[in-house]
Amino acid sequence: MTTAIRDRRQWPLPKLADPNAPLLEVRDLAVRFSMPDSASVRAVDGVSFMMQHGEALGIAGESGCGKTTTALSLLRLLPSNGRITAGSINLYGIDLVPKTESQLARYRWREISMVFQGAMNALNPVRRIGEQIAAPIEIRLGQPQDASNKRAGELLELVGIPKQRASAYPHELSGGMRQRAMIAMALACDPALVIGDEPTTALDVMVQAQILQLLERLRRDLGLSLMLITHDLSVIAETCDRVMVMYAGRVAEEGPVRRVFSAPRHPYTRKLMSAFPNIRADRRTLDVIPGTPPDLRNPPPGCRFAPRCADAMNVCRTDVPPEIRFEDGVRVACHLYPAAAGA
Amino acid sequence: MTSPVVPVNLGVVAPARRKPGLLRQLVSRPDGLAGLLILAFFTVLAMFPNLLVGPLETAITATGPRLAPPQAGYPLGTDELGRSMLNLVVHATRVSMVIGLLATLVTVFIGALLGITSGYVGGRLDAVTMRIADFFLVIPTFVLAIILTAIIRDVLGTGSKEIFGIRLSLITIVIVIGITSWSATARIIRSQTLSLKQRAFVDRARVIGSGDWRIMRKHILPNVTNLIVANAVLTFAGAILLETTLSFVGLGDPFQPSWGQILDAARNVGAPGLGAWWYFVPAGICIVLVVFAFTLLGSALDAILNPKLQARR
Repeated sequence: MTTAIRDRRQWPLPKLADPNAPLLEVRDLAVRFSMPDSASVRAVDGVSFMMQHGEALGIAGESGCGKTTTALSLLRLLPSNGRITAGSINLYGIDLVPKTESQLARYRWREISMVFQGAMNALNPVRRIGEQIAAPIEIRLGQPQDASNKRAGELLELVGIPKQRASAYPHELSGGMRQRAMIAMALACDPALVIGDEPTTALDVMVQAQILQLLERLRRDLGLSLMLITHDLSVIAETCDRVMVMYAGRVAEEGPVRRVFSAPRHPYTRKLMSAFPNIRADRRTLDVIPGTPPDLRNPPPGCRFAPRCADAMNVCRTDVPPEIRFEDGVRVACHLYPAAAGA
Repeated sequence: MTSPVVPVNLGVVAPARRKPGLLRQLVSRPDGLAGLLILAFFTVLAMFPNLLVGPLETAITATGPRLAPPQAGYPLGTDELGRSMLNLVVHATRVSMVIGLLATLVTVFIGALLGITSGYVGGRLDAVTMRIADFFLVIPTFVLAIILTAIIRDVLGTGSKEIFGIRLSLITIVIVIGITSWSATARIIRSQTLSLKQRAFVDRARVIGSGDWRIMRKHILPNVTNLIVANAVLTFAGAILLETTLSFVGLGDPFQPSWGQILDAARNVGAPGLGAWWYFVPAGICIVLVVFAFTLLGSALDAILNPKLQARR
């Protein structure tokens, strides 16, 4: 359709980029939120993961487990009381954490963009969607207005919205079309990585399927990498190559989708999966994980899942579980697996 | 994997709707049309008083009988000096409208600017601005206006000096109205800005690379336009009333007849006691009509400028 967009890397890599480095490597990321009562919440605590070019990574977990915070910290979009306290975010081997706001401009939206949770809120209700999609092209890429508008039209066509609709206001579009417009906006500067923060929540199943298909097609055609944040495991199973399960600000289990979902190793992953309705199973009740996630102002000393874990041992309550890497590419943070099991 | 089918044509393609101009949209609504017509009428009066009723009559040039009821030659009667009330009311239109317009512009400009910046920037700037706004909100407007008029008149000086062809005494009134009424506008716009600031599209605009100034201009301002317009209308009405009040207590410019001046003169002469209704009714009706017209226009504009309301219609 639009060869200009199909052609990967229209824009040269950042100067210091290491061509052999993985697309994204996050190491020991920690994010703290300072609270009014001088306490602080460790919303993300030592999260590490890696993404290769063209890969789709799904991040799963309960509400409040740090999925969105992890993603927002990549763009440094944290709320004003949140701060990255440790770790590194390497994009093409360039650490984004020490960058200043103005140095980040090179990366925000041009390398990493985001499809926000709830398109109605992420679109300005009184501006036409075409204008809003064209804005990043104008600002980030310095394109003249008519070129940006033309490209906004192309992007709309790319996500399946006739370009005549560019003059529509957000409220004149259906929920699915708004989400498509958000995706078009995320693609505006031809980024390497698109983060989808619950991109299909609040859409009905049919529209949800369409949006997921669209994301998958775009990923293939444009060579995008995709980070999908969702609490819906089926969405991850359908679209992602790898899945990372988070619990209380830490990574519980991470690995290829098939491996993790066919044989979950972390007790939390197991619980999470059995708490999910299975259309083939004939039982009527779902497993519920007893208890609630820990208070992150004062997390338990050992494994954070220990208080709710059926398999908890004494060591779980005192020691932080080490990360065990299995040969099939899965890593699990759990005391159930002796270090010897790892590669 | 089969190639995913992404419907390119989602139902009927609505052709890009050419929006009719704002004026046409206004005219197509009964309230908008009525408001526009009334205001057009008064605008004509304000622009060409000399053509319509001849030059402003003074005690020297007045020729009519004293305090006479409406009659041939004097359709609205005369005042105690024998001036035609029609002549006075039409000439007063210009002064009242100009003061109302200028005061509204000043008020809305200050209010929108301070409201958006203090709401968006927050922190100390917000605290300081809002304490100042509170001060102006709690001091009774009228008392403050009387004192300010005296002070500003002292600073600017009186007499026949002019700025942009407007007499200083009128500018004094404009400044007084601006100072006493910006705070309400600023408060309202600030509160809306605070809620807009939390919306995801502001965050999105920030990642996309919009600076603070651009966000305020392109994202916050268009979202508060309805409020600004609605407020401008109320301010205009309030400005005309405040001007009337100030003139009524003798703080206007006696050489520039405004509707308030006429009401003041009517009270001085004791027109109500004498049954000289023609002295104060025309000016009163003018005030009511103009305020009413702005209210109509305001609601029509609100409905048109707010795309959500429009879609529901």
